[in-house]
Amino acid sequence: MENDDKFLQEFRRDPPAGYARRLRETLREQEEGAPARAWRPLLAAAAALIAVVAALFAFPAVRAGAQSLLDLFRVRSFVAVPFDGARMDKLRALDRDHAAMMIFDHKDVLQEPGPPVVQSSLAAAAGPAGFSVAAPAYLPAGLALDTVAVSREGRARLSVSASRLRDLLAALDLNDVDVPAGLDGQQIAVHTLPVVIQSYRSDRHRLSLIQARSPEISLPTGVDLPRLGEIGLRILGLDASEARRIAASLDWRSTLLVPVPTNASSFRSVTVRGNPGLLITTTKPDGAGADRRRAGTVVLWTEGERVFALRGTLDPEDVMQVAESVR
Amino acid sequence: MTAEDALFARMETRSIPAAAVDWDAVYVQHLPGIYNFFRYRVGDGPVAEDLTSITFEKAWRARARYRRDLAGFSTWLLAIARNVAVDHYRAARPQLPLEAAASVTTGSTPEDVAVRRSDLDRLGALLATLAGRDRELVALKYGVGLTNRAIAGITGLSESNVGTLLHRVVQDLRARW
Repeated sequence: MENDDKFLQEFRRDPPAGYARRLRETLREQEEGAPARAWRPLLAAAAALIAVVAALFAFPAVRAGAQSLLDLFRVRSFVAVPFDGARMDKLRALDRDHAAMMIFDHKDVLQEPGPPVVQSSLAAAAGPAGFSVAAPAYLPAGLALDTVAVSREGRARLSVSASRLRDLLAALDLNDVDVPAGLDGQQIAVHTLPVVIQSYRSDRHRLSLIQARSPEISLPTGVDLPRLGEIGLRILGLDASEARRIAASLDWRSTLLVPVPTNASSFRSVTVRGNPGLLITTTKPDGAGADRRRAGTVVLWTEGERVFALRGTLDPEDVMQVAESVR
Repeated sequence: MTAEDALFARMETRSIPAAAVDWDAVYVQHLPGIYNFFRYRVGDGPVAEDLTSITFEKAWRARARYRRDLAGFSTWLLAIARNVAVDHYRAARPQLPLEAAASVTTGSTPEDVAVRRSDLDRLGALLATLAGRDRELVALKYGVGLTNRAIAGITGLSESNVGTLLHRVVQDLRARW
């Protein structure tokens, strides 16, 4: 058969390089055990922003007080920040595998959360989650629960590297941004709480509901939050005046900024079960494969102490209807 | 219970920690086989990419339940891929033409492009005429590159039966090529 089947053997091809790379990045998010799977790609960028801002919370004046940590950041509300997707690509290209470590030089993992662990039911997920799991009372026809998984609690302490931040700013040609002196060695503590990830599927659609108590980032006291947020926004690609305006208008202790690529998304403020939320709709890019399936809708909201993200390939109206039924 | 859950349930109790696996290496090793399995099984182009993505995402989502001692990762991944292909046909979505063939012709002359595209289209059309089982055997043999014995282990057919069926299918395709 060896000679006869050459025409069949020649049909084999290597996967397109771009497609292989995008799929690998998608899978890597799962490996990292972060709840980013359903929040991506928007909250992955938000996490990078938080890391950047958090790393900048260090001045000579507060070095002496660094032992006294202030519970600084918990998510209470969301604000979309339009940005050029090319900037995020550039940040990824600088250090694709360890984007958050671009400004840290040491990381102590005090408690390893590990990968999400699949649970047999929503009720079973309540144990490792530490709370009664909310679920949608309404689902469009055909959608059914496929998987529920819980990511465990994690704790880490990070040390800031001023030299890495300078390198980052230089690589981005941000020559007008000053790096605060006395940055090296300042520490921030990150505490992530159990995250419940529900995946729903039908023949045509996917839907994921993520819920968790807000992660907490503890930082040294006495810092100029708007100033540091402004630097973080510059790193994201905003010009100086826009970064200053936005930074001055936000409550940096409770607002999660969600960077939204300007070329592929639209967003608007919404109300979910009486709570403020943010609805983001991503449009289909021209590419094929994994990217095409990422197109869809994400709605983010907080309710009490809990943060929710609902993402799916449904229309925005359907996603909102499902979100309203979560209880 | 999904097909994957049933598969996992049949596996043994001892597992290796997910963190102990080099997932970069696993991905690089298995992506070409799974991708080509779908190209032969459902056709070239975005559908093959989508189904490959679904397969890997399912596998990665449940990788903590992967049991190395009972089933090799390749076998496990192929079991997921076969189920994904079945789900795809069950959904009765329309087949896409082999329109992405031009993507594999980089660096060729226009004449080469035309010839190769024509060959891909012709072979894709021929594969589309095969019965489901025959096409799956072709996908496992030429897409994944499995031996007849390995195909027998996956499909439940005897090794000699796999050889006989494949011989007939290839002769049939060859005659119409």
